[in-house]
Amino acid sequence: MNRDARVEAFVAAFEALRVEVEKVIVGHREVITHVLTGLFAGGHVLLEGVPGLGKTLLIKTLSEGLELSFSRIQFTPDLMPADIIGTNIIVEDPDGRKHFQFQQGPIFAHILLADEINRATPKTQSALLEGMQEGAVTVGGASRPLPAPFFVLATQNPIEMEGTYPLPEAQLDRFLFKLRVRYPAIEELNAIIDRTTQSRAATVSRVVSGPAVMSFRELIREVPIASHVRDFASAIVMATHPQWEKAPEVARRFVRYGASPRGAQALVLGAKVRALAEGRYNVSVDDIKALAAPALRHRIILNFEGEAEGIDTDNLVARIMESTEAATAQSREPFLR
Amino acid sequence: MTESPRIDGLLRRIRGEIRRRRAEYYGLRGAFWGAIAAVGVLLAKHGIGSAAPWIAGALVVGGAAAGIAYGLARRVGRSDAARVADRAFSLEDRVATTLEWAERPDRTPLVDSLVADTIARVDALELKRVVRRVVPREGRLLAAPVVVCLLLAVAPPIPLPSGRLPDFLPSGEEEKEERATSSMLEESSRPIAKDQTKRSSFEERDFAQRAGGTGATTTGDLSAIFKDTSLASQRPDFNSFMKKGDERLRMLEQVDRLPDLQSDFTNNQYKMVFRKSKSLTSGLRPDQISPQKLRELLEEMERLGRKGGNNWSGDAMEGMEALEGGQPDRALDAMQRALDKMRAMDEAQRSGKNLRGGRESDRSGRGRDRARGDGAGPEDQDFGEGEGLMPGRGRSNTPKGEATQRLRSTPYDVGVEGESRQGRKEGYDTNLTGRGGAMASRLQYLGVIGQYRKQMEDAITREQVPRDFHDQIRSYFQSLDER
Repeated sequence: MNRDARVEAFVAAFEALRVEVEKVIVGHREVITHVLTGLFAGGHVLLEGVPGLGKTLLIKTLSEGLELSFSRIQFTPDLMPADIIGTNIIVEDPDGRKHFQFQQGPIFAHILLADEINRATPKTQSALLEGMQEGAVTVGGASRPLPAPFFVLATQNPIEMEGTYPLPEAQLDRFLFKLRVRYPAIEELNAIIDRTTQSRAATVSRVVSGPAVMSFRELIREVPIASHVRDFASAIVMATHPQWEKAPEVARRFVRYGASPRGAQALVLGAKVRALAEGRYNVSVDDIKALAAPALRHRIILNFEGEAEGIDTDNLVARIMESTEAATAQSREPFLR
Repeated sequence: MTESPRIDGLLRRIRGEIRRRRAEYYGLRGAFWGAIAAVGVLLAKHGIGSAAPWIAGALVVGGAAAGIAYGLARRVGRSDAARVADRAFSLEDRVATTLEWAERPDRTPLVDSLVADTIARVDALELKRVVRRVVPREGRLLAAPVVVCLLLAVAPPIPLPSGRLPDFLPSGEEEKEERATSSMLEESSRPIAKDQTKRSSFEERDFAQRAGGTGATTTGDLSAIFKDTSLASQRPDFNSFMKKGDERLRMLEQVDRLPDLQSDFTNNQYKMVFRKSKSLTSGLRPDQISPQKLRELLEEMERLGRKGGNNWSGDAMEGMEALEGGQPDRALDAMQRALDKMRAMDEAQRSGKNLRGGRESDRSGRGRDRARGDGAGPEDQDFGEGEGLMPGRGRSNTPKGEATQRLRSTPYDVGVEGESRQGRKEGYDTNLTGRGGAMASRLQYLGVIGQYRKQMEDAITREQVPRDFHDQIRSYFQSLDER
């Protein structure tokens, strides 16, 4: 297979997977695209939205479109880390001898749905940290690798905050993207009603295999990025830091902590997936702009003033991006420089 | 695989376009500022002459040319041109990425696909102008100075003030004059050497003497600053006059160095007391006069009388007692008596100094007239204006004689004031020699002795004389009385 063929295969797989998901999920095209982007970029995705918008259904449908194992964990306050990772249990062999045997938890799957992740205690939430970052878990002093590709999709409800444990920043940073699932438009709602109230349910085909996903992940990293595009991404991430000398006024005023370097990685990786999914061999500034909000919105921690004024991080990121774009040479007339 | 000639041609075309736009941009700016300069030249057309329009035109054209040259000379980077191409032709950073990655050693396999893709897309482009024209602010305002230039070029020259007064001297004299003026300025700007032997009060008197109009000045004297005589006889030079004026203004700021003419010559302590009493009593009945102010005035009079050993101090004391007794009319009478005595003494002193205003002076003036009519000698005539008597030596250039050396300027200087100094003040040199020896004395012996005695008492009171000499001095004056 030559290079172009690999790219064409990726584009085809990406498109096929989206089509399969869209057989079940109405609307949310951008969310679906970003979920797929996260999958091929090798990151994990957090979906946030009110109940009933199809977050869980979207992830289940995606798992059905992939030839990969799937686990679902419903996070509750009494969930323990061992319930996720697994534990050593005493088993008796046919000879009558007893010994410990590791019983894998649900984390040992290619696709893990952590439903309502903010309802579990931080201790349990933290059980996911090592697996999400390292692709392995340590039980009883032994490190056990997770299957590849390992893709965590978590959901959380932003309005029912009572009795919940908001994710700590360290864990939020492990998610490549945070996607907001918004309420569908009326046409989309009508389509949802039609699809879900009829007798015939849509069937989803498995269109992408696990090895193919891994191959595409390697291909993604080959996508070249120009220095000025990379600089633009770095400038955006740096501009979220109020301590930076060139930080825009909005960041200085409302932000307590800016995005980590993982944010810049997520931005560029996501931009590469987007470029390749569009059949392009290079990353453009528009790719960076398109991925800025999902990659940075959960990595920016507002200060008291920002929280008090109800600042939306999406708007904040957009304003930071505008000011960064204006500050860089991108928007200036080249002949006046 | 590297970039294609097609990509190279695209970049060359865009760079050329950027250069042209820059040339337009900076050319307009240069033309504007050249036109501004041209307006200045045309305003000075009267002085420049017929070449002014040509110079103005050259400035406008030169400014534009300089701007164009600057715009053309500025470097245009290939990456900048690539980004312009990407934006202009919606190539989504393909050209810039291709340029950057085509030659990199760590190029990924996808880069070849990228280069091929970019070449294919550039080949398919329909080339167009991609760099929009930007008119600078100066370009929008360019019409205004150009129109002004045209109007000024057509209009007659505007006469400008020359800044110099008409030349009254031939050119040779002018040069000499400038040299003289500059040396004069140097002299006035030099720090003034202070005569250590003079007291500050006498320096002030030096200034006052110059009101008399004598032309003689000494080096380092501040008189050079206050006198116009050096300029009066010369051609007026506006610049030097301005500089001179600056020097004078600077001197005016040094108020402590200026003579206080009023306090020196028009006011003495007695006159001040007269003035105060007049302002206190004018138009008021005795019961309307402020006892406090009257007491203060009487105290001052008493102090003056006591200090000078004068005879009105008793009257002032009597007035103060009457005031304490609640008799303001008696106090006023006493004050009036004291004032009368004070006036009498002041007039007597003025007569002794040959100053105008004294009764003795009037009398002696009338006597002089008579004497002059009788064919009296030149010694009897009054001194000319600005001249004074130098006791024992005839006339002095200064009306009040030479300044006295400052007393106690050295530890050994313990002389009585007025005894051994030069010039004419309240004391008189008894060692008459030279021309003054032939002069007939116009002073009564007893009057002179009285004044000397008074000064002696003052000097002893102010402890200007060593204590061991007090008895000796007193016995000397007593021996004079006995004689």
